[in-house]
Amino acid sequence: MPLLKTGPLLKDGRLVGEDAFQPVADDAPLPASGAVLISYARWQAEKDQLGGRNSPLGISLPNTVDVLGFGPEAERFDLIVLNFPKFSDGRAYSQARLLRERFGYAGELRATGHVLQDQLWHMQRSGFDAFEIPREDAAEAFATAMQSFSHVYQPAADGRVSALKQRLAASRKKDAAE
Amino acid sequence: MAKAPKLDSQPQVVTANDLKSGDVVYLTKVASWSRRIADASVVANVEAGAALLAIAEAQAKMNIVVAPYLIPVDASSMPPKPIQYREVIRADGPTTETRPAA
Amino acid sequence: MYQYDQIDQTLVDERVAQFRDQVARRLSGEISEDEFKPLRLQNGLYLQLHAYMLRIAIPYGTLSARQLRGLAQIGCKYDRGWGHFTTRQNLQYNWIRLEDTADALADLAKIQMHAIQTSGNCIRNTTTDQFAGAAYDEIEDPRVWCEIIRQWSTFHPEFSFLPRKFKIAVTGSPNDRAAVRVHDIGLRMHKNATGETGFEVIVGGGLGRTPFIGKTIRDFLPRQDLLSYLEAILRVYNQFGRRDNIYKARIKILVHEIGIDTMREKVEEEFTATKDGALKLPQEAIDQIAAQFAPPAFEKLGGVAAEYANAFRTDFEFGLWARRNTFKHKQPGYSIVTISLKKEGEAPGDAKAEQMTAVADLAERYSFGEIRVTHEQNLVLPHVKQADLPALFRALKAYDLATPNVGLASDIIACPGLDYCALANARSIPVAQQIALRFKNWERAHDIGELKIKISGCINACGHHHVGHIGILGVDKAGEEFYQITLGGSADDQAAIGDLIGPSLNVRDTVEAIDTLVEAYLRLRKSSDERFLDTYRRVGLAPFKEAVYAVA
Repeated sequence: MPLLKTGPLLKDGRLVGEDAFQPVADDAPLPASGAVLISYARWQAEKDQLGGRNSPLGISLPNTVDVLGFGPEAERFDLIVLNFPKFSDGRAYSQARLLRERFGYAGELRATGHVLQDQLWHMQRSGFDAFEIPREDAAEAFATAMQSFSHVYQPAADGRVSALKQRLAASRKKDAAE
Repeated sequence: MAKAPKLDSQPQVVTANDLKSGDVVYLTKVASWSRRIADASVVANVEAGAALLAIAEAQAKMNIVVAPYLIPVDASSMPPKPIQYREVIRADGPTTETRPAA
Repeated sequence: MYQYDQIDQTLVDERVAQFRDQVARRLSGEISEDEFKPLRLQNGLYLQLHAYMLRIAIPYGTLSARQLRGLAQIGCKYDRGWGHFTTRQNLQYNWIRLEDTADALADLAKIQMHAIQTSGNCIRNTTTDQFAGAAYDEIEDPRVWCEIIRQWSTFHPEFSFLPRKFKIAVTGSPNDRAAVRVHDIGLRMHKNATGETGFEVIVGGGLGRTPFIGKTIRDFLPRQDLLSYLEAILRVYNQFGRRDNIYKARIKILVHEIGIDTMREKVEEEFTATKDGALKLPQEAIDQIAAQFAPPAFEKLGGVAAEYANAFRTDFEFGLWARRNTFKHKQPGYSIVTISLKKEGEAPGDAKAEQMTAVADLAERYSFGEIRVTHEQNLVLPHVKQADLPALFRALKAYDLATPNVGLASDIIACPGLDYCALANARSIPVAQQIALRFKNWERAHDIGELKIKISGCINACGHHHVGHIGILGVDKAGEEFYQITLGGSADDQAAIGDLIGPSLNVRDTVEAIDTLVEAYLRLRKSSDERFLDTYRRVGLAPFKEAVYAVA
């Protein structure tokens, strides 16, 4: 899995000039300090040495990794990068929700690969807060995508209240008022 | 979908669908598009076919038509008649009698 | 019937605005066809052989009179005055211009309709029993659960880019009219030992290239856990379903490859972790949705209405129609009426705008303004007073909508086939038309009795040929249209995949072969009570095969 960036990095809706995490190839030595991004394979091989590292650690997970196995280790990381080899390959949406909702991962969750404007809504709802978008107007695209819909029909990783629960709350309030 | 046959040196035309309407269209001699296969530019060898398709693909990039491709035709009569029955249906419309005409 | 509230309406309106922008970006050249295609498909817009085709979702096949009238108007304004009802209880317009699509969708939104998720690798429109809320044998109205599933699955952030499309069907009756065993997920409502209603969950059924009968993953799922359990199945599928080969990407292949027991373990593990979370359905929320499906204000009727009894005695045609096209209602004095869209020689499932408008008017007059669409491509008026049946029959007849052939040989399911569809290998509609004309004689057709003929123009099986008592599959053989015939398929509670009878035949021989098969059945059956399917199950393939190929 290459650790190369696929576009400008957008975090919390704003373009980030420089990524704090330096990607390090599997066969390159790790710098003594500073935030680094490593592959899942490297983590598997060098877990013991890497475990004690004091600076921020990021990991790129292939979308074939079963998050139920990896999940308990997630809190060790400050950044988890999830991959969309093609926009139509949606495995990372499930990985994202599991990391956020099942394992309580609170660090940066970044989408990379074939990231298109019309997917940002889904990604954000699934728990992503950072995106590598291969276009100049990434911030505008993000802002447009976030305005797509005023309501949601189902609970997800963003904590928004589903239409079903909104209606329930409204009717309870009405009942209480009567 | 039935596979398009590999074309050799036989009469052939380029067809596509119009982007805005979706209508079946054929590339004409003056590099425009017509809804009638009678207006199609018929070429008879691989090189000329490739050249015709290149013109069509450039027009697809300009968002005039969608997904142009070459089809073999019987050009011994006018209008030329597609060889594949799929293309006959595209050229003539649905074969079901109960449907209204276009 | 379910009515949109402000939340539903806002979401559908916002979707129209979003798609209008996407179409504008495509027409201006800002986005390419490759980028646009997945966006238009998520809004049900295909580029077919002759034009764009727009597929409208009819949630669980339920329509109001106002909606059907609106569909007729939209068909006149943007199509050629027709609509085509599909085997997925949806409606397709075959002649749509890309430029007009956003306007058509905006008109649809005004009647609380849309084309969302009618294509693409997402959760599609949930289908159900066309007699839901009316049938005498129903345990509970399945539309309540279909609506709950509709909301949960619409714009689902995690499941919009699945390995392949995903279809869910629900039946609330032990007599399955929703084909739940041939869906990605089938839900069969039943009561457990303590009298509580819940779901048998069936997974991994499907037709297409590799047909499978679904397997039971859970015998009894409590109602409040429905969404958590569905989400667990979808989550396992999204992560582990195959994505390397489009023909192996449906959940049926995953279930087949890892086995139902491993599948169950994975799903149960996921379900255990989430079942008490935000998806658990509070009883009040279920009640809120259920209230929208409250039965209409039926009159308390007793005995047989005089008009009904008289017409039966005096009007032979009416009797024929009433026997064939009505079904037992749960409310005494009422019947369920199936309106055949299969007049012999017409395209199965096609309805003219005038016909749709007429049905809408008749629904208002006779059926509390409700209409259903069946997966067998007919329409239904679910709540008709028996006393009104004679008048309804006469009114339908004036619009060519009273063909007394429901469930008979001429009530054929057919996909659009190569006359319209870009994926097809062969035509379906003309084959259906020619076969139906062979069974136009009512005496013969009624003597033959129930016979389900289903025709698909390609292996994707939109015409459900695998589960036809007689199935017909169009193939391309060296540049010619040929048809494979299968026998013994069934989509009901004893679902079965049909057996291939022999080498494929051309159009003429296929039509002839169907006639031959029916003649063979008439010779082989024990009595006129034994249906074609029963005879086939008793005697097997050999005598039928011999009949067809000895002649050919």
